Amino acid sequence: MLFDVNAYLGHFAFRQLRHNTADGLLRQMDAKGIDRALVSSASAITYRNAQSGNEELDEAVRGHRDRLIPLAVINPAYAGWEDDLKICCDQFGMRGFRLYPKWHNYALTDACAQQLIAAAAEQHLLVSIPIRVEDYRQRSWLVDVPDVPLAEIVPLVKSHPKARFLLVNGLGYSRSPLGRASDQLPPNYWIEISRISALLDNELGQLLNNLGPDRLVFGTGMPFKYPDPPLLKLEVLDAPGEFKERIRGRNAAALVGG
Amino acid sequence: MPSSPQISRRGLLIGSAAATGWMVQRFASVQADETPDDQVPVIDCHAHLFHPSRSDHLEMDRRLIEAADKLGIDRLCCSILTPKRPATVEGFRECNRALIAAIERYPQRILGYSYVNPGFPRQAVDEIRRCVLDHGFIGVKLYNEHVCTDPIVAAVVEAAIELRVPILQHAGHIHHPFPEQPNISDGGDLAELAQRYPEARLICAHIGGGGDWEWTIKSLRHARNVYLDTSGSVTDEGMIEMAARTVGTDRLLFGCDMSMTAGVGKLMSADLPAEEKRKILGGNMLRLLAMRS
Repeated sequence: MLFDVNAYLGHFAFRQLRHNTADGLLRQMDAKGIDRALVSSASAITYRNAQSGNEELDEAVRGHRDRLIPLAVINPAYAGWEDDLKICCDQFGMRGFRLYPKWHNYALTDACAQQLIAAAAEQHLLVSIPIRVEDYRQRSWLVDVPDVPLAEIVPLVKSHPKARFLLVNGLGYSRSPLGRASDQLPPNYWIEISRISALLDNELGQLLNNLGPDRLVFGTGMPFKYPDPPLLKLEVLDAPGEFKERIRGRNAAALVGG
Repeated sequence: MPSSPQISRRGLLIGSAAATGWMVQRFASVQADETPDDQVPVIDCHAHLFHPSRSDHLEMDRRLIEAADKLGIDRLCCSILTPKRPATVEGFRECNRALIAAIERYPQRILGYSYVNPGFPRQAVDEIRRCVLDHGFIGVKLYNEHVCTDPIVAAVVEAAIELRVPILQHAGHIHHPFPEQPNISDGGDLAELAQRYPEARLICAHIGGGGDWEWTIKSLRHARNVYLDTSGSVTDEGMIEMAARTVGTDRLLFGCDMSMTAGVGKLMSADLPAEEKRKILGGNMLRLLAMRS
């Protein structure tokens, strides 16, 4: 089973996305043998009211829920986020949400973010944090949004041991406590592999050694990204087949409960 | 003898990592006129070996060859850059000496670009001539010491024309201040240089590592003697197809710039016919290499 934990539907303000409808994404998934995907709204990254993106996503994945598992985008600094979260969970059946602290202009240490993550832990919702949306060198002249520093994730996972975090679009974990074998951090976070090297410095191999095979998950970043680079990483990764199977999909299936 | 690659040539062309067949033919020749269309080698037009000041440089070079083996890359067009720039004359000479030694270690795999700082025109031209004429280097690598339209670069461009070798120019277009690289060239600069020197063969480096790739691609639409290399860590969907539509597949060169799975994977994913991918993966670079002979 191949399970993509890093997929999107909708539009991005600064670049045209193709294959960004449910049908389009499913065709891409079929072409690459990907069975299921966690999807969220790309539009919600730049909508002021992210909930509009969640509503569009709910509509888009109807009829495809067996393969497209929606995640909300929640902005805890925006009015009514508690209502948005309730609607996304209770009405839309979403099993978690993505956070964009840099795009939505709040800090993960802010009280509102802490409150949201505490609610996620209580309701067993997945908290997915994209470390970046696009490469910083190509950002529009209109925005100057930095990546989420891994140093800001470390205290977050530590202070919410019962929450479950899914970190996507990141790299450099092996130089952070997040990527080292240690008892300093709870095993409550999973790392998606799309930007992590599997050759030369082979960070993927290092993470596998340090964290074990249960903490890494496959993701593509479609439709922002091409799907083959992370598929290739799994092909060339020097690891037992059993470990690769977990990364390909078993860990993600366990994470979303299906 | 390289081991069998994990990614087959068919896998590269049809774009399915799952369909890899693991066997690929090795090609004895990179001479364009000796290579049948269906046996064009895969040539990474933008790679680097590691500077000898790194204690592990030999091991890292070996890992690069191993990565190429796994990905089915036949040849790597490499330069070695100085750890700190701007490069001194002795600095770039040392890099090229190390590259000559590396080519002797991997004669069937590595092709060399002579790296120079064009701010030292006389020494740079001497170095390029030494590397190309005495050691069979296939091109010139320019980094960010000077914008490529700076008149001081002219001597190097004219030497490359005389020797019939391409120039791989580090490039990027970033919409925000980029103080780390004040003299970085962009696609527009390369287009201007190409207009000044229509006989030159220029390669604009890494569309996937040079900022706004849509800007770069559009800036080169009419620059017929500028090739565009596909390397870099950015794997944005649609990048290769837009480049193919805008500048044409005859001017696209496959490269990784050390982002190995990104470089190969974006070509695998790109929605292009196999024969167009074949040109990008090696056919076009073969044409450039044949220019010298």
